Amino acid sequence: MLDHILSILIFFPALAAMFGFVIHKDSIRAYGIAVSAIEFVLALWLWFGFDSAVSGMQFMEFIPLIPSFGINYILGVDGISLFIIILAAFFTLIGIASLTDTKNVKNMIITLLFLQMTMVGVFVALDAIVFYIFWELSLVPMLYIIGAWGGPLRIYASVKFFLYTFAGSLVMLVGMLFMAYFYYQATIDPMTGVGVWSFAILDWYRLILPENFQLWLFAAFFIGFAIKVPMFPFHTWLPYAHGQAPTIGSVILAAILLKMGTYAFIRFSLPLFPDASVYFMFPIAIIAIVMIIYTAMVAYAQEDIKQVVAYSSISHMGVIILGTFALNVEGITGSIFLMIAHGVVSGALFLLVGVIYDRRHTKMMSEFGGLASVMPRYATIFGLMLMASVGLPLTINFVGEFLSLLGFYQQSHMITLIAGTAIIVGAIYMLAAYKKMFFGEVTNEKNKNLPDVNKRELVALIPLSIITIWLGIYPKPILEPINNSVESVVQLMHDKAITDEAKSRIPNLIKEVEEVEISITSVEGAH
Amino acid sequence: MEMFLYIALFAPLVGSLFAALFAASPKTLIAGVVPSLLLFISFIASSILLAYVLQTGGAIHVEMMTWMATGDLYIPFGFVVDQVSVTMMMVVTLVSTVVHVYSIGYMDHDKGFNRFFAWLSAFVFSMMILVMSDNFAGLFIGWEGVGLCSWGLIGFWYHKESATWAANEAFIMNRIADLGMLIGIFLVYWNTGTLQYEQAFAVMPSLDTEILTWMGIFLFIGAMGKSAQFPLHTWLADAMEGPTPVSALIHAATMVTAGVYLVVRANPLYDLIPDVGLFIASLGAFVAMFAASMALVNRDMKRIIAYSTLSQLGYMFVAAGLGAYWVALFHLMAHAFFKALLFLGAGNVMHAMHDELDPFKMGGLSKVMKGTFVMMTLASVALAGLFPLAGFFSKDLILEVGFVQHHYIIYSVLLFTAGLTAFYSFRLVALIFHGEERYKLFGIHPHEAYKFMLIAMSPLLLLAIVAGAMKMTYFEMVTAVLPATEYHIHSEITYWIMTIGTQLFVIAAIAFAYKKYALSKVDVPDGSSDMEKSFIYKLLYNQYYIPRFYENYFVKPYREMSHAFWKEMDILLVDATVDGIAKFIYNTGENTRDMQSGNLSTMLKWMVAGTVALLSLAVVFALAVRYLGV
Repeated sequence: MLDHILSILIFFPALAAMFGFVIHKDSIRAYGIAVSAIEFVLALWLWFGFDSAVSGMQFMEFIPLIPSFGINYILGVDGISLFIIILAAFFTLIGIASLTDTKNVKNMIITLLFLQMTMVGVFVALDAIVFYIFWELSLVPMLYIIGAWGGPLRIYASVKFFLYTFAGSLVMLVGMLFMAYFYYQATIDPMTGVGVWSFAILDWYRLILPENFQLWLFAAFFIGFAIKVPMFPFHTWLPYAHGQAPTIGSVILAAILLKMGTYAFIRFSLPLFPDASVYFMFPIAIIAIVMIIYTAMVAYAQEDIKQVVAYSSISHMGVIILGTFALNVEGITGSIFLMIAHGVVSGALFLLVGVIYDRRHTKMMSEFGGLASVMPRYATIFGLMLMASVGLPLTINFVGEFLSLLGFYQQSHMITLIAGTAIIVGAIYMLAAYKKMFFGEVTNEKNKNLPDVNKRELVALIPLSIITIWLGIYPKPILEPINNSVESVVQLMHDKAITDEAKSRIPNLIKEVEEVEISITSVEGAH
Repeated sequence: MEMFLYIALFAPLVGSLFAALFAASPKTLIAGVVPSLLLFISFIASSILLAYVLQTGGAIHVEMMTWMATGDLYIPFGFVVDQVSVTMMMVVTLVSTVVHVYSIGYMDHDKGFNRFFAWLSAFVFSMMILVMSDNFAGLFIGWEGVGLCSWGLIGFWYHKESATWAANEAFIMNRIADLGMLIGIFLVYWNTGTLQYEQAFAVMPSLDTEILTWMGIFLFIGAMGKSAQFPLHTWLADAMEGPTPVSALIHAATMVTAGVYLVVRANPLYDLIPDVGLFIASLGAFVAMFAASMALVNRDMKRIIAYSTLSQLGYMFVAAGLGAYWVALFHLMAHAFFKALLFLGAGNVMHAMHDELDPFKMGGLSKVMKGTFVMMTLASVALAGLFPLAGFFSKDLILEVGFVQHHYIIYSVLLFTAGLTAFYSFRLVALIFHGEERYKLFGIHPHEAYKFMLIAMSPLLLLAIVAGAMKMTYFEMVTAVLPATEYHIHSEITYWIMTIGTQLFVIAAIAFAYKKYALSKVDVPDGSSDMEKSFIYKLLYNQYYIPRFYENYFVKPYREMSHAFWKEMDILLVDATVDGIAKFIYNTGENTRDMQSGNLSTMLKWMVAGTVALLSLAVVFALAVRYLGV
C-alpha cells in the first residue's frame, strides 16, 4: 500500500467528499472527522515509512497521461514537502473537529475535504502540469468558503482573492510552457531532429539554461509565487480574504495555502534557475525586508485582532522568503521549518481569534480589555502562541526564524541586521494587541461573563500548544529530513550554476569528498 | 556530579510547573511552599557543585541532547559548571530561595499568589539556563526566557495600565538589544564555525581584529539591554511596577547582571579587543554617575533603589571593561546580596505603609519596624562601601582597578559617584526611618512584617556583612578560568591615603544626608521650594527628559507612521492600484461591449474599420522592412 500512498493521500479525501453528499447532515461532522482522521493517520504512516537518510524523492508514482506532450502523473515526496503534507492533514482534521455550528455544515465539510485533495496534490506533484492543476483547483474551494460563509464583504474579498492569484498563476503557466519547450530544444537528437517534451520537474532539474533565459523564466514563475505568498506589493488580497473568511478558512489559508508559494520557490525557482536566484537575491531580500517591517507596522496600526494576525502572517512570510534566498543549507532549512512553524502558530492564532469571535461576534480590540481575568485559560494559550509568534526560544518559531536569519547573514550582514528587526517589530504589535485585549480592567459589560475555552476548542488548541513547545525544544525529527533534502537542492544549484557569482554564493557541500578523492589518487601515485 | 547539575537546573522548572497547575485556582499555600522547597534543593545541589569545583578545580560539562543541527551548524543543550557559572548559580539560587520564602509572606493576600510562584520559579529556571549553558545559543534561550518572565512579573498586576505598559516597554527594549546579541551570535558562528564557548574562543585569537571588534560590540549591545545601560536604561526604573520581591530578585540581583555575566563569560574575546573594553568601562562609569544623579532627587523609594542598581551595574561594567573580570563578578555577587536585602526591606516598608512609595510621607519608622530598620541600614552601609561590609571590598577594588590602570577620569567619576551613592542611600534611610512620623498625617498605621519574612532575609544580611571576607578564597577559585590579575597600588602610602580618603568622603556624604533629612525638619515637598523650581532638580527629577524624548521621537512617530502606512500607503496606494488595474480591465470590457451588439450594420462598420487598421499596419510594416531594414 505504501507504493501508492501518495495517490491515496490525494484522492481519498476527494472520494470521501463525494460520498459525503449522501451522508445525512446530522452525522456529517462525525463523518468528516473520521475521514480526516484516517487521512492524518495515513500522512503519519507516510512519515513512518519515509527514510530520513535519503535526500531524493521517495514513494514515486508514475502514470502516463499524455506522453507525447510529456505530461504525466508523477508524484513523489521528499523532506521538503513531507511535513507540509502532514501539516495539511493535521489542520484539516483539527479544523473539522473544532468547527463551530455554522449554516450548511455539510457543504463546509465536503468543501474542506476537496480542499485537502488539492493541497496534498500541490505538494506531491512532480509534473508541472499536474502541479498547476492542483494549484489552481485549490482556489475553488477557498473561493467557495469565503464567498459562502464570509462576512459582509465576502463577494468582493473572494473574487479579489481568486482573480488576483489566478492572474499570477497564468503568468507562471506561460513560464512552464517555455520550460517544456526549452527541454524539447535541449533534447533534440541531431540524427532525427526530434526532441522530447517533458513537464517532469526532475527532468527540468537537469537542464542548464543560459542566464538571460533564466532571468525571464524566474520572473514569470516569481509573479505566480509572489502573489500566493503574498509578497509586497502583491499582498493586499490577503487582509480582505482573512477579514471576510470564516475562522476555518483563515486557518487553512494561513497555515497551508500561503506555504504553496514559498514551497514553490524552493521546488521550482531555486533549482531551476540558480543563477537567476543569485541575480535576484538582493532585490528579493529588500522586498522581504519591506514585508517584515512595513507589514509589521501596518499590523500595529490595526484595530481588528484578526487583521493583526493577518498582517503578521505577511511579516513572517518575509522571514521565510529571506531564509529561502539565503541559498545555503542553514537558511533554506530554516525557511522550510519556519513554514511549518508559522503554519502551526498562525493557524492557532486564527483559531484563537475565532474563539472570541464566536462569543462576542466582534473582532475589534477596543471591545475587549481585561480578558485575562475573565478567561484565564484562553489568555494563557493566547500568550503562549503570542510568544511563539514573536519567536521566543524553545518555541517552534524561533528555530525557523533563527536559522533563516543565520543563513542570510552569510550573504549580507546589513540586510540581516535590518531584517532582524523582525524580532522587535513583531514584539511591538503582538504585545500591544495582547495588552489591549487581555490586560486592564474589564470595562465592557458584555465581557464580564464570557465562558472560558470549551472542550471542543481545546481539542484543537492543546495539540497545537504541545507541538509549539515540543518542536521548539526538539526540532530534530523534522529538521533532519529537511536538512538532507535541502543539501541535495543546494548541491544541485551549485553544480548547475554558470556564473562565477552564483558559484561563489551557493556553497559547495561536497568539497570534503573531493579532498578525499585527491588524497586517494596521491596515495596511488606514491606506489 | 552530573545528577546534581540536573537537579540544580531542573528543580526550579518543576517548581514552576507545579505552581502553574494551580494558576487558575484560588490561593493555595502549597503552590508557594513547594517551589520554595525545590529552590532550596537547587541551592543545595549548587552548593555541592561549588564544593566539587573548589575541591577539584575542574569543571563539569554535560551535553543533554541535540537542539538544532543543520548544515554545519550544531547546537546542543549543553551545560557547564565551572568556577564562573557556579558563582552565578550560587547567587541565583540563594537569592531566589530567600525571595521565594519572603514572597510567601509578601504575596499573602494577593489573588494571583499561585500564578506569582509559577512565574518566579520559571524565571529562576531561565536564569539557570542562562548561566549554565556552554554555548551562545543556550545563553540566548535563557536570555529570552528571563525577558519573558520579567515581562510576566512586571505586568503581574495586569489590571494596572502602568504595570502592563512597563512590562511591554521592558520586553521591547530588551528585544532591541537582543537583536544586537543575535547579530553577535551570527558573527561568532560564521567566523568560528561553532557556537560552543570553548571552541569559539579557541579560534578567536586567529581572527581579524575588525571582526572581533564587531563581535564584541554586538554582543555588548545585547548586554546593554539586559543590564539596562544607557541609552536602553529607561525600562528598569519603570519595571518597579512589579511586586517588590520581583524587583529584588530580577531587577537587582540576577537578571540585570546577565549583561555583566556575558562580558565576563566572553573574556577571551574582550581581552583581544581592549578598545571595546575601554568603551564598555567608560560607558559604565558614565552610567554609574548618571543613574546616581537621578537617584538624588527621586521621591519613589523603589525607583531610588532601581537607580542605585543601575549605578552599581555601571561599576561592574567598569571592572569588566578594564579586564578585571573577577572583580566585576565579585561586585556582582556582593551587590546581589545587599541590594536584594535593600529591596526586600523596602517591600516591608511598602507593606507597612499600605503601598505608599514616597519616603517623604514616612519618617520615624525605626520605632515600629526595628528589624527592617537594622537590615536596610546595614544594606545601605554595604552599598555605600563602608568598611568592613561587602561593598567596601568589592567597590573599592573597582576604584583601585581604575587607578592602577591609569584611567584617572574613570577613577574620579567612580569616586565622586561613591559619594553620591552614600548620600542618596542615607537620604532614603533617613527619610524612612528617622525624623518625625509624617505618616500620621495620612492616617496610616504601620506594622512590622511577618517574622518569617525577616528570618528569610537574614542570610542576605549575613552575606552582606561577611562577603568581603571571602575575597581571597573567591579570587583563588575563579582565577582558574578568569585572568588572574591582582590590582595592587604600588606604594603603600598611596593605598592608605586613597582608602581612608574614600571612606571619609563617603562618611561625610552620609553625615550630610542625615543632617538634611533626619535631624532637620522635613516637609512633604509640594513643588513650592526653591530647589524644586531649579533647572537641575527638574532635569534630574524628569530623568533628563529621556523617557519623554523616547515617547515623542520614537514611540509617537512609530505609531503615526504605522497608521500612515496602513491608511495611506496600503489602502490608498497599493490596494487602490490593484483595484484600479482590475477596474480598467473591467471598464475596457464594458465599453467595448457595444461592438458585439448583434446589430448587423454596426458590426459591419467595425469590421471595415478593423480591416483598414490591419491593412495599414501591414503596409507600414512592409515599408519599414523595405526602407529601414528593420
